[in-house]
Amino acid sequence: MQFDDQGRVNKSKKRAVFNQPEAKNRVELFRHLPQYEHGSQLTDLESKFLELDSMHPAVYKVGVQYLAGDVTGGNARCIAMLRAFQEVINDYSTPPGKTLVRDLTAKISSYVSFLIECRPLSMSMGNAIRFQKSRIAKLPLTLSETEAKAALCNDIDRFINEKIILADKVIVRHAATKVRDGDVLLTYGSSCVVEMILLYAHELGKQFRVVVVDSRPKHEGQALLRRLLAKGLSCTYTHINAVSYIMHEVTRVFLGASSVLSNGTTYSRVGTACVAMVAHAFRVPVLICCEAYKFHERVQLDSICSNELGDSNDIARVPGRPDVNSMDNRTNEKNLQFLNLMYDATPSEYVSMIITDYGMIPPTSVPVIVREYRREYLLI
Amino acid sequence: MNTDDSSWWPMGDGVLCNAASQTYPSCNTFTHALSFFNKIEGSQATARQTAELLRSVISQQRVPYTNQAGALIDAVKAIGEQLIAANPVELAVGNIVRRVLHIIREEDLSLTTAAIGGLNLSAVSDDENDDDRDGDSTLSAAAVAAAARSTLRPPSLQTLLEDTPVSAAVPQTSSSGGDSEGKSKFSFTAADKSSRSRKLKHDVIEAVNELIQDIVTCHEQIAEQAVEHIHQNEVILTLGSSRTVLEFLFAAKEKKRSFRVFVAEGAPRYQGHLLAKELVARGLQTTLITDSAVFAMISRVNMVIVGAHAVMANGGVIAPVGMNLVALAAQKHAVPFVVLAGSHKLCPLYPHNPEVLLNELRSPSELLDFGEFSDCMDFGSGSGSPLLHVVNPAFDYVPPKLVSLFITDAGGHNPSYMYRLIADYYSADDLVVQRRATAGN
Repeated sequence: MQFDDQGRVNKSKKRAVFNQPEAKNRVELFRHLPQYEHGSQLTDLESKFLELDSMHPAVYKVGVQYLAGDVTGGNARCIAMLRAFQEVINDYSTPPGKTLVRDLTAKISSYVSFLIECRPLSMSMGNAIRFQKSRIAKLPLTLSETEAKAALCNDIDRFINEKIILADKVIVRHAATKVRDGDVLLTYGSSCVVEMILLYAHELGKQFRVVVVDSRPKHEGQALLRRLLAKGLSCTYTHINAVSYIMHEVTRVFLGASSVLSNGTTYSRVGTACVAMVAHAFRVPVLICCEAYKFHERVQLDSICSNELGDSNDIARVPGRPDVNSMDNRTNEKNLQFLNLMYDATPSEYVSMIITDYGMIPPTSVPVIVREYRREYLLI
Repeated sequence: MNTDDSSWWPMGDGVLCNAASQTYPSCNTFTHALSFFNKIEGSQATARQTAELLRSVISQQRVPYTNQAGALIDAVKAIGEQLIAANPVELAVGNIVRRVLHIIREEDLSLTTAAIGGLNLSAVSDDENDDDRDGDSTLSAAAVAAAARSTLRPPSLQTLLEDTPVSAAVPQTSSSGGDSEGKSKFSFTAADKSSRSRKLKHDVIEAVNELIQDIVTCHEQIAEQAVEHIHQNEVILTLGSSRTVLEFLFAAKEKKRSFRVFVAEGAPRYQGHLLAKELVARGLQTTLITDSAVFAMISRVNMVIVGAHAVMANGGVIAPVGMNLVALAAQKHAVPFVVLAGSHKLCPLYPHNPEVLLNELRSPSELLDFGEFSDCMDFGSGSGSPLLHVVNPAFDYVPPKLVSLFITDAGGHNPSYMYRLIADYYSADDLVVQRRATAGN
């Protein structure tokens, strides 16, 4: 949706479930994206809990988790959403005078727009929703309601199992062959697949060390660091500015992705492009680990046309630094804007290889997979 | 050591110091400040304090009859060695020490040239035979040429043989000729020598004052060039905070150029926040971004303008950490990367392994809270080697091929030109600041 179009914005506000005040100091370059004041959203949504009859409580719970930031990461968000949809389908009963297919599709669409209000969809979620809707549309008309519901829940289970859980296992097996003794592996932020790879390689007994690179404002690397240290891996921790300093020791870079687009661009957490660029400058191979269901046929050249903007207060406030935080009361000053990007686009020339459940492919093969293997969704 | 009273006079402070022990109380406090307390922040303040300290050292130094320049150089080298050893990463200290040494040599050379020219004129009035006069004139010309060559060229066998033109030239002219003429000439040269030595110190102190003035006004001179580089509706990116960049942007704003600035915060010191605050106070449109968003935003930026901690002889830049990231991103998107640096930041050394040797690793507490991971960072637990290392470098090295332009108080230059500026400011003899054990030069 275009947020620079005032007419559409007003229309969507009327349909909105809860109030979201727009940010006062919007960055001009990102006018086409939603920028909200994050302070009051959560309390507003929680206060609406008893008023929302049309909202299934499971979907509401997932929405709140997204808004609060409890559930992050493409896979986790996708699984949470699909499980919520499973509950919705189980509790669903066709109202009189309507067909299951149309009504259920409409309900799912309304829940999806609620989730979008809480937090814009990730590509993985978008693909899962498309799968879901196509399964509903493909239901044979001869089925009874209980059979249809059981079939749909089964489909969701299969999707989660095949596309996410088993895919992760295959990726981990492939990637572990790329880890040798004496390696120094660098990773950025916190990706669940990369974590699984590191732990698996460690279990296999390979001797290597890990460099965890982290950045503001979320410091996601610290959680990953804690989990790795608990398992006994030897780690180095640094921030993204020091990547040039540490890169001369590194032998491989493993990165996760939110999605890989059809022109080979990797769309992932902001800062990934910087790490990949420095690795490329130091001739260190960059391996992206991404399940195939996250591939998308969209193309994107830069990080500005499509992105997600987070809370600008996270940038203005630096925890633990009162000397710097005198900026805090200036978030509403006219000339000053804070830009909190969530994603960025890494060009394909920085990526050596993408490890997927279909094998290890170069970035140029992504459109091939999108075209050839997507059909299996429709053939199940 | 000559304790002749004619070579000693009060200069400013009026504090006598013991030549034998060579103690300079102000030097010790400065050295302490440099090494332990880090109270002096920033290359400009450090450079200025170093220059003022060396000025007081020179003024308090007692110089002998012969070879005053050598004595001054020795004194400055002794102090300079200590200052450089106190904080090797702060290259501005070494730069200023070398500048002062170069000043001493240059002033000495110009005085020698003038003195020998003066001696030549006065020798004509004496009643001497032609041979001596010819010998004088040829000797003076040769001495001048030798002195000129030795100060500006790297040492070679020829210059080493002509090494002491100053001390050699004067006694020779005094020894030639008859007794009466010699005595008159001797008295003349003695008076001339003391006036020359007085002049040397005086000239050196004047030149050091000019140097201090240059250091203090370097921001203005760089900012004057701002209008030539910033056009209307430009988008500028910078990282961290630098006073030179601030003055530069203000100067462009004064000239009614309207432009926008993206400031990357510059973790872990977060000085970008302070810079953004100052820019906003002056009415500039500023957007504060995280360092991880630099690659995402740089495609919409027209120019990157940054400050530097030091500029090395090959044109490489020692800059706050994160600058290499910005320089690589700028190169990928063909965005000009402009470095602003005062001439006191120009270092005549070549950076060998600068990530390690010219870097400083700071406390991990800037990245992680102490309590959280303290058990993993403990050297005492388990096998004695901790599971977790935290790396927090303070500086980054940007190679010269990533820099588009240097803007200094002496104008704009290519990175490939920086080594020529070194010939202007430094002497080849001073690259290693170490007091030589042998007497002589």
